[in-house]
Amino acid sequence: MAVPPWVRLPCLARNLFRRERVERDLEDELASAVEMLAAENVASGMGPEEARREARIALGGVQQVKEAVRESRTGAGLETLWQDVRYALRMLRRSPGFSAVAVATLALGIGANTAIFTVLDATLIAPLPYAEPSRLVMLWTGYREARQPRVPASGHEVLEIRRRSRELAEVAGIWVGAGSLTGEGEPERVRLALTTSNFLGIFGVPPALGRTLLPSDEGAQRPSIVLSDGFWRRRFGGDTAVIGKAVRIDGGLATIVGVMPAGFDVVFAGDSSVPPGIEIFTTFGRDLAEMPRDMGWIRMVARLAPRATPASAQAELSAIAERLRAEFAEYATPGLELQVVPLHADAVRDVKPALLALFAGVGLVVLIACANVANLLLARATGREKEIGLRAALGASRGRIARQLLTESLALSGLGALLGLVVGRLGLAALLALRPASLSRLAPSGLSWTVLGFTLLLAVVTGIICGLAPAVGASRRDLSRALQEGGRGSASLTGRTRPQRVLVFVEVALGFLLLVGAGLLVRTFVSLSGADPGFRPEGTLTLQVSAQGGRYPDDASRRRLAKTLAANLAALPGVEAVGAVSHLPFDDYPNWYEYYWREGASESEKNTAMADHRAVLPGFFESLGAELTQGRGFTDSDDANHPNVILVDETLAKRTWGNESPLGKRLNVSFIHEGSFDSTLAEVVGVVRHVRYRDLGLDGRGQVYVPFFQSVRPELAFTLRSSRGTRADAARLAGPARREVARLDPDLAVSKVRLLEDYVRQARGAARFTTVIAASLAALALLLAGIGIYGVLAYTVAQRSGEIGIRVALGGRPKDIAWLVLRQTVGIVGAGLLAGLAGSLVMTRLLQKLLYGVGPRDLATLAAAAAVLAAVGLAAALIPARRAVRVDPMIALRGE
Amino acid sequence: MTAEKSDLLQGTLDLLVLKALAGGPLHGLGVSRRIGLITRGAFEVKPGSLFPALNRLEENGWVAASWGRSENNRRARFYALTKAGQKQLASEEREWTRVATAIGLALEST
Repeated sequence: MAVPPWVRLPCLARNLFRRERVERDLEDELASAVEMLAAENVASGMGPEEARREARIALGGVQQVKEAVRESRTGAGLETLWQDVRYALRMLRRSPGFSAVAVATLALGIGANTAIFTVLDATLIAPLPYAEPSRLVMLWTGYREARQPRVPASGHEVLEIRRRSRELAEVAGIWVGAGSLTGEGEPERVRLALTTSNFLGIFGVPPALGRTLLPSDEGAQRPSIVLSDGFWRRRFGGDTAVIGKAVRIDGGLATIVGVMPAGFDVVFAGDSSVPPGIEIFTTFGRDLAEMPRDMGWIRMVARLAPRATPASAQAELSAIAERLRAEFAEYATPGLELQVVPLHADAVRDVKPALLALFAGVGLVVLIACANVANLLLARATGREKEIGLRAALGASRGRIARQLLTESLALSGLGALLGLVVGRLGLAALLALRPASLSRLAPSGLSWTVLGFTLLLAVVTGIICGLAPAVGASRRDLSRALQEGGRGSASLTGRTRPQRVLVFVEVALGFLLLVGAGLLVRTFVSLSGADPGFRPEGTLTLQVSAQGGRYPDDASRRRLAKTLAANLAALPGVEAVGAVSHLPFDDYPNWYEYYWREGASESEKNTAMADHRAVLPGFFESLGAELTQGRGFTDSDDANHPNVILVDETLAKRTWGNESPLGKRLNVSFIHEGSFDSTLAEVVGVVRHVRYRDLGLDGRGQVYVPFFQSVRPELAFTLRSSRGTRADAARLAGPARREVARLDPDLAVSKVRLLEDYVRQARGAARFTTVIAASLAALALLLAGIGIYGVLAYTVAQRSGEIGIRVALGGRPKDIAWLVLRQTVGIVGAGLLAGLAGSLVMTRLLQKLLYGVGPRDLATLAAAAAVLAAVGLAAALIPARRAVRVDPMIALRGE
Repeated sequence: MTAEKSDLLQGTLDLLVLKALAGGPLHGLGVSRRIGLITRGAFEVKPGSLFPALNRLEENGWVAASWGRSENNRRARFYALTKAGQKQLASEEREWTRVATAIGLALEST
C-alpha cells in the first residue's frame, strides 16, 4: 500500500496553498451527496424538509465527515499546527497589554543570555583561529623548590626540549618587548617579539604577504622581520611593496619579509607576558644555546606530534625534566618541572571562572523571567476557563487544548527571542565597551550561528517552561465546573493561586542567589578599589622610551640620556618629582625576576629564591608615591664609580633576615653591564614598602631595586609627579613632556604616555567587568521578582474583592484588610529567602576564585541581599494592599 | 456483517473501493452502493469512512476526481481509476487471493 513520499508532494502543496479550492470541492461534493439522497427520499414520498433531514442523518453529520476527510489529507498535522499558531497569535493580539509585558520580560531574559553567551562562545567555545588549534600546547617551566609555577624557560631549556621530545612535532619560543622604529616619519616604539624562527609557522596561519621566518634568518647579519596586519596598515598604509624593504629598528637595519593576515594574533594566558597586539616578529638576536641556563625568559608553545596527546606529551616532558635535573645543577637546585597545557585552556584560565559565573547568573535571570511569564499565563488561564471549557465541549481533546496553550507560550517566547536578539545586540555593545584586556578575542561582529542556535534553543526551552504550568493546569481542570463558574470562582480561591505563589517563591529564591552573588562581587570590587598597591597612583604621569642602538650603543650613552632627560623633565613647571623605572606597575611589559641569595650562601641555597628586579633612577620612589621605611634612597652618586648598592622591599627583608635590620647586609643579585646579566654582590642601603606590580589584590615576590646608573637597561618608564597631585594636573604634563623628549632627541620614540592611575584602573578591569554585569543581572532579577510579587497579589486582590467586600461590610478595619494581603507577601518572600539562603551556601563557593577581601559566606552581604529583597517584596505588595483597603463593599458584592 | 461492526481494515476498504471503480467512474454515493451490490450487501460503507478513503486514494494517485453530471443530471464529483490505480488493484487482488487461499487451506486442515 505504501506510496513513495514524493507522489504526495503535489497534494501537500495543494492542501496547504490552495486550501480554499480543496475545501470548496469537499463542501460541494458533500452537498451534492445530500441533495442526491434527499431527492431519492422525496421520490419515495417524503416531504422536502424531512427528506433533507433524513439525508443528512444518513450521511452521518456533514461536519464530522468533513473533519474526517481533513484528517486524512497529507499535511494535516502541519495544518493543525498552523491553526494553533494563528489562533495563538490572535489570542496574543487580543490582549496586547499582557502580550507586551510577557514578550518584554522574555526579551530581557533571552537578550541578556544571548549577550553573555556571545562572550562565552567567542572566548571559551569557538576554537582559536589557528590550524588544528587543539594540537597546540603551552609548555610551562616550574621551579618546585623555589615554589614558582609557570615561569619562563631558559634558551638552553627550549633547545633541549626540542632536541629530546618525540611527542612534540615543533617547539617554539617567544619573548615580547619593545623596539624603536626610526627613519621615515615619527619615531615609534613598537611591540616587538623575539621568537624562534618556527614560532609563526607553528600556528599554521600562512602570511598575507611574503613569508614567515626561516631557520636561516636566525643569527643573520641583518634581521628579518614580519609585521602584523594592523601595524602594516597603520605605518605603511597597507603598501604591498614593503616586502624586501629595509627599516631601522633600535638603530640597526632589518628587512621586512612578510605580513601576517588580518585577525591573526597570539592568544596566550595573561600571566605569560605575551600580550596581544604584537606588531613586529623577528628572530632571537643571540644564540639561545649560549645564554645562561639559569636565566629564564622565554615562553614556549608546541605542536603535538601526529599521534601524541597532551597526556603522552606530559609523560614525556616529565621524564625530560627529570633528565635535565640530573644533568644540570641549574635545573636541579630549583627543582625544574615541565607542564603541558592545551593552549586554549591555558589562554582562558583567568577569564573562565568569571564567564561561567556570569553565565550561571544570566541563566537564573531567564528562569525568573520564565516564572513571571508562567504566572501571567496562569492568571490568564483562569480568566479563560470559560473559553477553554467551550472548546473542550465542542470536541477538542485535553491534549489538543494543552498543545494549544503550549503553542501560545511558544509564540510568546519566539517573539521574545526575536526581540531578545535586539536586546542581546545592545547588551553586547555594552559588554564590549566594558571588556577587560583578557577578553580581547571578543570580536564586535558578535552573532554567530552558534549564538543564533543557542537563542533558538533558549526560545523553545523558555516557551515550554512558561507554558507547562498553565497547560498542565488546563488539562486537569474540571470542565463542567469551569463552564458553570464562568471563570470567576468563589470558594477555593487561595487554593487556586498556589501554583502562582510557588512560582513567586522560586523567583524570590533565585533572585536572592543572584543578589548574593552580585553583592559579593561588588564587595570584591570595593575591596580591590580600596586595596593599597604600595604607592599613590593619583597625579603621576608616565611615559616610556627605549634607548637601544643608534645613538645609544652602550651603557654610558644610556646613562647620559637618562640623567639629562630626568633633569629636563624635572625642570618643567608643575612637576614635583621625576624618576624612572625599568618596569612600571601593571604594565604588560615582561617582568624581570631572578634568583638572589645571601652573601656566603651555600651552593644548595643558591637558585632557590627569586625576586622581582627593577632598575630605578633616583627620585623614583618620590614620584611613585612609594614609601622608604629604612635607610636611604638612591642618589646621583650611586653610579658605576661607586660600590654596588640596592634597596629591598619589606617582604624580601623579612623573608631573608627576619627581624634583623637589613641595612648594611649584602645580597647576590642581578646587575646588568652592557646587556649581560651578572650576579653581583651589593649592599642593602634602604628598605621600601612592597609595591604591587602585577596583582592588585595580592603581594607578589620580594623586590630588589638596583640603581639604573649601576645596572643599565635600555627600557625606561619615566614617572612625573605633578605638584598638586591631581589627575588633571598630571594629564596637562603630557604635551610638555613629549616636547622635552623631542627637543633632546627627535629620533627617540616615546610610547604609553599615560597616567599611572589608568594602569591601576585597567588592573581592576576584569573585576569591574564581572561586577557591573553581575549587578545589572541582580537589578533585573529584582525588578522581575518585584513584578512577579505584584502580579500575584494584585490578581488575588481582584479575585477576592467579594470576600474583602464582605469583610469591609462586616466592619473589618483597613489595617486587618491590608494585613490580609501583606501576610501573603511575608509568607512567600520569607520562604523564598530561606530557600535562597540554603542555595547560596552551596552556590557562592563556586564564586570563591573571583572574590577578594570578602568570604563566600559574608554575613553582611547575605543580610543586605535579604533586606533588599524583602523591601522590594513589600513595595510590590503596597499597591495591591491599598487597593484591597479601598474596596467598596457595594460594588464588590454587586459584581459577585 | 457491517463495516462499522467489523472494523474494516483500511487496506480492505481501499481494495473494495478500487474494485468498485474498476467497472467505470462513479460518484461517492455510487461507490458506496456499488460496494453493497458487489458484496451482496455484506459491506455497508459509511460516508464517514468512504470520503476519507476516496481522498486518500486520490492523494496516492490511484484514482482521479472530476466534476460531472449524475444519472439524474445533478452535479457530482466522479472518481475514476488511473493507470497506477489499475496496477495497484491488480497487485492487491493477487495478494488478497494468496492470503485468502492460504487462510482457506489453514481452516480446512484439521
